[in-house]
Amino acid sequence: MSKKNTPTKKESIKENKKESGFKTYFKELGEAISKGDWSVKLSMLFMGAGYTAHKQIIKGILLTLFEALSIVLFVIFAIPSLKDFGTLGTVKFEKILDPATLQTTVNDYDNSFTILLGSIVSLFLVFVFILIWIANIKAVYRLQLIDQLPESINKPHINNFWGGIKTLVNNKFHITLLFLPTVGVILMNIIPILVLIAIAFTNYDQNHMPPNALFTWVGLANFKSLFTNTVTSSFSYAFGKILGWTLLWAVLATVTTFFLGILLAMLINVKGVKFKKMWRTLFIVAIAVPQFVTLLLVRYFFDDAGIVNSVLGNLGIVDVLKNIGLVNEHLNYIPFLSSEHWAKFMIIMINIWVGVPYQMLIATGVLMNIPTDQIEAAKIDGATNFQAFVHVTMPYVLFIQGPALITDFVKNINNFNVIYLLTNNSYITPDQAMANANGKEVDLLVTWLFRLTNEYYNYKMASVIGIIVFIICAVFTLTLFRKLMSGGREEQFQ
Amino acid sequence: MKKLKLLAMILTLTMVFAMAGCGNKETKETSAPADSGAKDSSAAEDGASAEDPVAKLIKATEGTVKLTVWASEEDQEFTQGLIDSFKALYPDVTFDITLGAKSEADAKDDVLTDVEAAPDVYAFADDQILELVNGGALQEVANTYTYDVKNENLAGSVEAATIDGKLYAYPMTADNGYFMYYDKSVLSESDVESLDAMTATADKAGKKVAMIVSDAWYNYSFFKGAGYDVTLNEDGVTNNCTWNAEGATDVAQAIIDLGKNKGFESVKEDADIVTGIKDGKFAAAVSGVWNSDAIKEAWGDNMAACKLPTFTCGGKQVQMSSFSGYKMIGVNPHSQFVGWSMILAEYLTNKENQIARFNARGLGPANEEASQSADVQASPAIAALAAQAEFASPQRVGGNYWDPANTLGLILITGNPDGTDLQKLLDNAVEGITAAVQ
Amino acid sequence: MIKFKKKFIAFLRHLLLAILVVIWLVPILWLVVTAFSGYSGVNKTHFFPQSWTINNFVTLLTKPDSVVQYGTWFKNTLIISIFTCIISTLFVLMVSYAFSCMRFRGRKELMSFSLILNMFPGVLSMIAVYFVLKSIGLTNSHLGMIIVYSAGSGLGFLIVKGFMDTIPVSLRESAKLEGASEFKIFTKVVMPICKPIIVYQIISSFLIPWGDFVFAKLMLNSGVSKDYTVAIGLYNMLDRSLVNEYFAIFCAGGFVVSIPISILFIIMQKYYVEGVTSGAVKG
Repeated sequence: MSKKNTPTKKESIKENKKESGFKTYFKELGEAISKGDWSVKLSMLFMGAGYTAHKQIIKGILLTLFEALSIVLFVIFAIPSLKDFGTLGTVKFEKILDPATLQTTVNDYDNSFTILLGSIVSLFLVFVFILIWIANIKAVYRLQLIDQLPESINKPHINNFWGGIKTLVNNKFHITLLFLPTVGVILMNIIPILVLIAIAFTNYDQNHMPPNALFTWVGLANFKSLFTNTVTSSFSYAFGKILGWTLLWAVLATVTTFFLGILLAMLINVKGVKFKKMWRTLFIVAIAVPQFVTLLLVRYFFDDAGIVNSVLGNLGIVDVLKNIGLVNEHLNYIPFLSSEHWAKFMIIMINIWVGVPYQMLIATGVLMNIPTDQIEAAKIDGATNFQAFVHVTMPYVLFIQGPALITDFVKNINNFNVIYLLTNNSYITPDQAMANANGKEVDLLVTWLFRLTNEYYNYKMASVIGIIVFIICAVFTLTLFRKLMSGGREEQFQ
Repeated sequence: MKKLKLLAMILTLTMVFAMAGCGNKETKETSAPADSGAKDSSAAEDGASAEDPVAKLIKATEGTVKLTVWASEEDQEFTQGLIDSFKALYPDVTFDITLGAKSEADAKDDVLTDVEAAPDVYAFADDQILELVNGGALQEVANTYTYDVKNENLAGSVEAATIDGKLYAYPMTADNGYFMYYDKSVLSESDVESLDAMTATADKAGKKVAMIVSDAWYNYSFFKGAGYDVTLNEDGVTNNCTWNAEGATDVAQAIIDLGKNKGFESVKEDADIVTGIKDGKFAAAVSGVWNSDAIKEAWGDNMAACKLPTFTCGGKQVQMSSFSGYKMIGVNPHSQFVGWSMILAEYLTNKENQIARFNARGLGPANEEASQSADVQASPAIAALAAQAEFASPQRVGGNYWDPANTLGLILITGNPDGTDLQKLLDNAVEGITAAVQ
Repeated sequence: MIKFKKKFIAFLRHLLLAILVVIWLVPILWLVVTAFSGYSGVNKTHFFPQSWTINNFVTLLTKPDSVVQYGTWFKNTLIISIFTCIISTLFVLMVSYAFSCMRFRGRKELMSFSLILNMFPGVLSMIAVYFVLKSIGLTNSHLGMIIVYSAGSGLGFLIVKGFMDTIPVSLRESAKLEGASEFKIFTKVVMPICKPIIVYQIISSFLIPWGDFVFAKLMLNSGVSKDYTVAIGLYNMLDRSLVNEYFAIFCAGGFVVSIPISILFIIMQKYYVEGVTSGAVKG
């Protein structure tokens, strides 16, 4: 294997040539503006001017049209939102019903949310426009430089409009490829995240809900109230506790399913085992039922008055557990999903139940491709099966599965379904301080946040927590991915 | 080098176009109702001013009146029938009425997420009225047109629909409170006077009395019964609570004792009550009209219902209180057709239709005359509610009441496992209940 | 003696597997038997129903009422998932190819950025997504749901890109020497090699609308049962006021929906393993 790991092509060198980021970007812009001739300067005002001056009429016309349209749209669409961006609206909704005619009149009211959303979309588009504007200036300057080259030199080829389109399926193919997915991501991810971040700095909650009421900027007040424990607010207490459990859960959920998946795969893969395919398929059946169906089902299964408790009660197991102190003595059932420690234990167990078959599938594939010669070699050197597993198999599996493990970890931090479906409406916290913050011991940050928005309309605090969850996840993944990817891992297989 | 971003630019343009298109459309939408309102009212002024408002409304209505109505799943068929007859009542107007299903118990969750997309007319339970009014999801019922909502309905139901002296909804049923169901073959009429007697007799028969004590809606009955109240502050959002006042620890102790009582079981959710009764585990249960059919099925003629019993608190017998509960119809002020929505809401809740609703679905009318009828009085569940009404109070609590009170109930009924000082326990709960809204 | 020991160990292994399979299948078995239960609520005392019936399936499939519209839900979900699957698969392939096979300025930054963005839980920004779609008038529509499920799918490129990373550069280089454009290389050289991972991608994106209820519940908020997807339809049956009437039908619905999904899963199994782990195969 090691032989093949040597990169066949040092493509990374080519790629990294110009990667020193912002500085170069603005240096180039400054240079273009200061040293550019009249066509560059004119194109700062009329975007098509530069291209037209360099005899690229189609591009020139299109660019100017684009600019004109952008300005028109900016006036029609962006200005109405942006002018209220500072206050997020001042006119409250009023609807008057005329009792004599039963007709209603509505005033021209402001909707803070629409203003916020419209402003963010506008600002985003303005940002995109500026990027294009800068790119245009630089491109025109480059044209000028090429023109200034002495005639004797073989000038680089300049693409005209049609030539430009052609490169979009060739060496600029990535622009074509990435365009639509990027628009999708902007629509579904970036804009909503920007809105969410903005809300963290407003007082958007159940007393300030558009369209009937207005909300406005409050600066860092929400962040302050999260980190200071006032008399009436146990928010930071709940936050700390829930964060702790979220991290513990994410580690346990990831590690348990990962290792048990490998163990199960190995158990099935051992030479002597018959009907390998049948075993695998049986485990797959368990995950083929949609997850939310199984989770809801399991919740009724382990209900305090549910079937498992009835059966275990009849078998006397509940009494046994009572005697050894695992079940509170005044209960006549096992509080599988209703007392803190049992519920946490069960949630992890149920997650194993849900997750192990997937991991088993993947691990099966990984194990099938494990280089057997290394294990053989280790065994010849006198290693036991266990040692071979620890020193050869595991490092190999971890190497292959590393990125997937990190993704799983982050997914588990945000594992909404398992926790919500198993505990919503059924788990009641016995801790008054948690209850006062609308939290539960078994909540993850995401489920807590979901209830804050869905049941208490506390959007501002939910946004604050959302940002913090995001930062935790981002820092974690960035560091780990950097470590994993920096070793040239990406290139080595090629 | 970057020239060839042109294609990208063109596509960006298309996107900008699309966005702008929506922007424009939106402005049109918001201005539409105002326009039509202005036009309609001027049209109406041409007509004789002596005409009654509904006739004016009919005259002023052009085009199709599109309305969305939400009623609970169980009410679908019945409500659809009413909608059809409503349409027949105004043959000159074209209606397009869509009926959606949403449980009254959590209508607010879906309504408040986006009030503008919420239905024009919807049914909800009165515990949500405060948040709905705060969220601007209820049109004030300043005038009525086809019947007198304020005077024809039970005083309690009107009180429950009134906030700050303004009526915000049309009472539909007066049966959403809770009371005691019991099995006549196990418990006698004298047993059901007190919880002590009930649990003792039930235990002898190997059965239990069930109640959801870990639910703030139910455990209120103990504290309020003993005179400790939770009420809404003037801001309409936060609570005032006296559950930690002197002597309230007796109530806490009473609940702890009840948790240890072998003839009593605190179940976790409503469904457990029905299954427990079907399995023969319970001889009595605190529940409401919504379980009436299921319980009737299990107990047959042995089913009986009565007001809540007394419980032992500090050595005395104290009558349990309760939240009275009503179901209401509300009109969304963001409706394009507020006028028609109000007329429809009145129609859905008028006396005839409240009686029809009782006949079809067994739901107790909020209409005073309808509730006096012999048929209604003969229904054991509704008679029990009426008997409990004297000890019930309307639900006027802010959102911070529920979670802390749920937890308090849970701690007490599980015997205060951490052994916290009872006064401290109540202080903590009250701190949560009265907390400012973050 | 050694032979006997070996056999005994093999027996133990099979026994252990059998026990595990039982643990894994008991809840599924409960789902299946409850689907045939004559009692409509949650059976809390008996694992197997006391009376058997196929009425639950009859109600589910042939008698739509205001609660159960299974046929319509199935159709809705099918339409949404077919389009979601086409768009997502295309998006993921496009992004993966750009990141894996092409080299351009800012590529690494863009990749890290996408990875981080993908870590952002959808639940958090759900409300904002709702209002974005509302402003373009796409709530309560199939198109809106398709956008919700597929628009951001380009971020989930990690696995497919990992697969493409294993395709030898020499293949693309030689195609380039023969004068093929990047577009040609993408469609004619890389796509065919990617078949297993494409199948994996198709099936897994096809399954998304069948399992999601959070977004669907928010977006399809008309309250009209006919608009629902299978997931919210089934979820709705467990509403407090309905669970005693509909739990058995819920199980029947869960059972019916898992039949096609099981088949897809069993087909996918092969490709999944092949696709996810091929990084190793070719290393």
